Amino acid sequence: MSNTAKSLASRLNMTRRSFLKMSAGTMAIAGGLVHRDGKAFAYEPYLRDDDLTTVVTSCAHNCGSRHMLVAHKKGDVIVRLSTDTGEYQGDSWNTDTEEVPQLRACLRGRSYRSRLYSAERLLFPMMRVGERGEGKFKRVSWEEALSFVAEKMEYIKEKYGPTALLDQSYAGASWGVLHKSDQITGLLGRFLGMYGCRTSSWSVPSYQGTTFSSRMTFGTIKDGNEDDTFAHSKLIIMWGWNPAYTFHGGNTFYYMRLAKQRGCKFVLIDPQYTDSASTYDAWWIPIRPNTDAAMLAAMAHYIFVNNLQDQEFIDKFTQGMDAGTMPDWAKDRENFKDYILGTYDGQPKSPEWAEPICGVKAADIKKLAEMYATTKPAALKASWAPGRNAYGEQYNRMAAAVQAMTGNIGVLGGCSEGVGKAWSPKSSAYPQDKYKNIWKQSIKSDRWAHCVLNYPNVKREEIGLWPRSDNTDGQIPNIKGIFWQGSDWFNQLTNINKEIEAIKKLELVVCMDSTITPSGLWADILLPIATHFERHDAALPWYKGHYYIHRPKVIEPLGESKTDFQVFTELAYRLGFGEKYNPKATRDYFDNNEEVDEVYLREWWENQVMAKQHVELTWEEFKKRGVYKFKLKRPHIAFQDNVEKGKKWYTPSGKIEILSTKLARYTDWTKTAYGYEIPAIPKWIEPWEWLGSEKTQDYPFHLVSPHPRWRTHSIFNNIGILRETYEQEVTINASDAKRLGIKTGDTVEVWNGRGKVVVPAYVTERCMPGVAVIHEGAWMDLDENGVDRAGNPDFLTDDNPSPAGAFAYNTVLVNIKKTELAHRPGWDKLATARSQVFRRESSF
Amino acid sequence: MSETQSSPLKIIRDAIKRHKRETYTPVVPDVQFGFVHNNVDCIGCRACEIACKDKNGLNPGPRFRRVQYIEGGTFPEVYAYKLNMSCNHCAEPACLPTCPTGAIFKRKDNGVVDIDSTLCIGCRRCEAACPYGAPQFDPSDGLVKKCNMCIDELEAGRKPYCVMACMMRVLDIGPIDQIRAGAYQTKAIGPGETTVRAVKNLANPELTNPSIAFVPHNKGRVEEDSQQEEN
Repeated sequence: MSNTAKSLASRLNMTRRSFLKMSAGTMAIAGGLVHRDGKAFAYEPYLRDDDLTTVVTSCAHNCGSRHMLVAHKKGDVIVRLSTDTGEYQGDSWNTDTEEVPQLRACLRGRSYRSRLYSAERLLFPMMRVGERGEGKFKRVSWEEALSFVAEKMEYIKEKYGPTALLDQSYAGASWGVLHKSDQITGLLGRFLGMYGCRTSSWSVPSYQGTTFSSRMTFGTIKDGNEDDTFAHSKLIIMWGWNPAYTFHGGNTFYYMRLAKQRGCKFVLIDPQYTDSASTYDAWWIPIRPNTDAAMLAAMAHYIFVNNLQDQEFIDKFTQGMDAGTMPDWAKDRENFKDYILGTYDGQPKSPEWAEPICGVKAADIKKLAEMYATTKPAALKASWAPGRNAYGEQYNRMAAAVQAMTGNIGVLGGCSEGVGKAWSPKSSAYPQDKYKNIWKQSIKSDRWAHCVLNYPNVKREEIGLWPRSDNTDGQIPNIKGIFWQGSDWFNQLTNINKEIEAIKKLELVVCMDSTITPSGLWADILLPIATHFERHDAALPWYKGHYYIHRPKVIEPLGESKTDFQVFTELAYRLGFGEKYNPKATRDYFDNNEEVDEVYLREWWENQVMAKQHVELTWEEFKKRGVYKFKLKRPHIAFQDNVEKGKKWYTPSGKIEILSTKLARYTDWTKTAYGYEIPAIPKWIEPWEWLGSEKTQDYPFHLVSPHPRWRTHSIFNNIGILRETYEQEVTINASDAKRLGIKTGDTVEVWNGRGKVVVPAYVTERCMPGVAVIHEGAWMDLDENGVDRAGNPDFLTDDNPSPAGAFAYNTVLVNIKKTELAHRPGWDKLATARSQVFRRESSF
Repeated sequence: MSETQSSPLKIIRDAIKRHKRETYTPVVPDVQFGFVHNNVDCIGCRACEIACKDKNGLNPGPRFRRVQYIEGGTFPEVYAYKLNMSCNHCAEPACLPTCPTGAIFKRKDNGVVDIDSTLCIGCRRCEAACPYGAPQFDPSDGLVKKCNMCIDELEAGRKPYCVMACMMRVLDIGPIDQIRAGAYQTKAIGPGETTVRAVKNLANPELTNPSIAFVPHNKGRVEEDSQQEEN
């Protein structure tokens, strides 16, 4: 009996009886029955995992989770990728417990090798030779590229002043501890800020409405529980939430499966019957897009009228929920309960009132309200997507009020999300000193084109100018250049046609990326950035989970790639502040970064992780294992101490502010970053485009553009093996399709006054009539008439943000018809996706 | 509905039986490994597919593992579930006897059905014969390839890449007899759940005796022995 057979049998936990049977069979073969197996693999010789070098690392993109990737390499080439098996943390193979689950990578992570070695990989510095956007470049040396950028920067700063360079770094390469690309702690912000010429972009595309709500209501965006707590819920209401698509946290979707096995009931409020609904066997309540706040208000109405609220919780912990919880200074103001009951405007926000707005039967609203108020503990997970609307912040604020009135906050199995950030990692290995996030002006991220096109005739409220305490307050930025670091924002922000007009007015567009992105085609200069496989870093959980994953330099940087830290440091030296920018670096950091990076990372581990998070594993041991998973003393539940020990919330009143002290006290809204009035209590406010508006005469469909599963925003759109499994398409209901004569697979055009895209149609009963769905992030591909053949919905979205800064990605009306125009799914040519096959039972 | 003597189905069935008897005596493995998939709890993310593609170095085109989406009903009363298959490593593989070069073989130790790439001539007869679409033609080298249950991983004492990729832990392998008997410990089968040999719209398992078990969706259930009649 060979060792292999033994270990295989034990690992497959076979019974002893069958194991013996198998051994007997094996011996029989050895005894003379010669059986010769052929060669197994499609190509020989085949490298087995155990012949290869194993390196633990992680995925690294801005998706909402972070998982382990294990590179199996031969020499300097990654041959294949696997994921967590439980053994790297020091446990036995395939250890996978509820307390310490494996961090299994999703389909995007598993495709990383295709991205790393893709045809779109940017390998050398490139300089534009044609018109901007024409996509013609020549290869240049790093010396030429960096001189060009540095000289242009000096010229622009000198001529147009300290607001002329716009920071559009984003999270495409972010969430390492050393190589970061976000707006607050990122490398570009530090670089442009120290240089003294930076306009920053303050609103977060994914969840600004939600961020605003969490900050106003709870005083923090850390209003989340760790994902394992979902396993303890008795009722989970997925409000516009589709964890089966977004993955959202290391194992959220899996813990919800455990909840289901323990008897938890699920409800989905969404225009689509998503895979999350089918997996968790949810009660689906289809709702018209952008009307979520109205339905939540109606639930609150039912709960108040039937006295189902947790009055003790309300009295103790909330401000402004009802007349009794109004602070003295606000006695003459509206409270939430009286708004809901219609005391002020004579209109009770009853289920009957909400029914024609939301397209949801009053009886269903009542039933859900009853379920939510009487099931304990219940998690109302108010997701980000319904907040990406005109007045989206009202939906999130309303959800928080309903969460609070039922007392589902601070308890295991409840939920106060919101943004939902939970356990906090130590997130930065380079200095977060006085040079962090210096900005001369800061605007709503989706208003840059409006600002550029209308400068200087722009009012501060139009661009959401963040207030300053010095004499530059209110100064409209004169943007003349853009830096993209880990960002494909040109492809991802709203109203791309307006962006195309604006970018032609700029004098410098720099794109730093590992991939030639659709944004990159509009740049003046492309700088090749090493991927996370090619530099040393450590990975943090994104959103949920409590672990660190080491990210060693798995292979040498491809082509002439450099890390973004190397590029900024070198530019900083050339512009005269290199020592301050990267204090541990020497002048040769551009060519020699490994030792310096190692020092930063070791100090981060020792001074922050070990010293402050009670971790005993040494840096050397962490590097050897590749992963460290925390075992929490108790489940991480947001606001548990507030509820159990009377700790104050981080709001001005120290309470859950249904009535926001901050909002109540603003007098001149134009001087705020929001620009326009936001009510101090949550209210239903009619959006500027929705199925109830008159614009439906021309544009009868409400378009939503959720996050796809087969891309992270625009990242991975060029990966053939991902794209063949799904299709960029518009999803519409079968009854709408029948009326328009459209069948699945027909090419259609989707258009409104802002643009036009061409996509195949997917006809289904799983989508609400009147609603169209196109997933965001397709790589734009314009024909000669400016029609997008790829199907990027941001040619249709509006760049008018919600007052609180929420992008109105999902506030879009469109029309649809069959077309002769061509759809092009990608820059390359692929066989037709076979995902259509077996899609509907009737097709059999 | 019972079959009449002259029904076309009956004629085909008899022909299959005759063909199998005349051409092929299948290898009886010491232990037959097979897959188990939970049709309901699968989120359909296709991490298993991509893990498989990456491991086997496949371009767009051939897909050893295929997660199929099934949906039905009328708005708003709809349902959906997933069906996830690669090669079912059948007890009586339909592909095997069609191979003119003997490239397809069934392993004695674990019942894995495999193609010897050095013998495959890419004639695609196996592709046509398989009722589950397992053999995949790869135009990049003109060969037919398919799932070999990651035989290298099995031999190393581990499980295939697809199983180890499953984020929901709804896909697993094990001795198929034990899986069917409910005697195999696996997260793919939840508490109180049982498995079936076939679900709606799949070929009759009597044809090839596929080594796969499903936790079915209610809408995917078939009366196992009357499946042909339902079709």
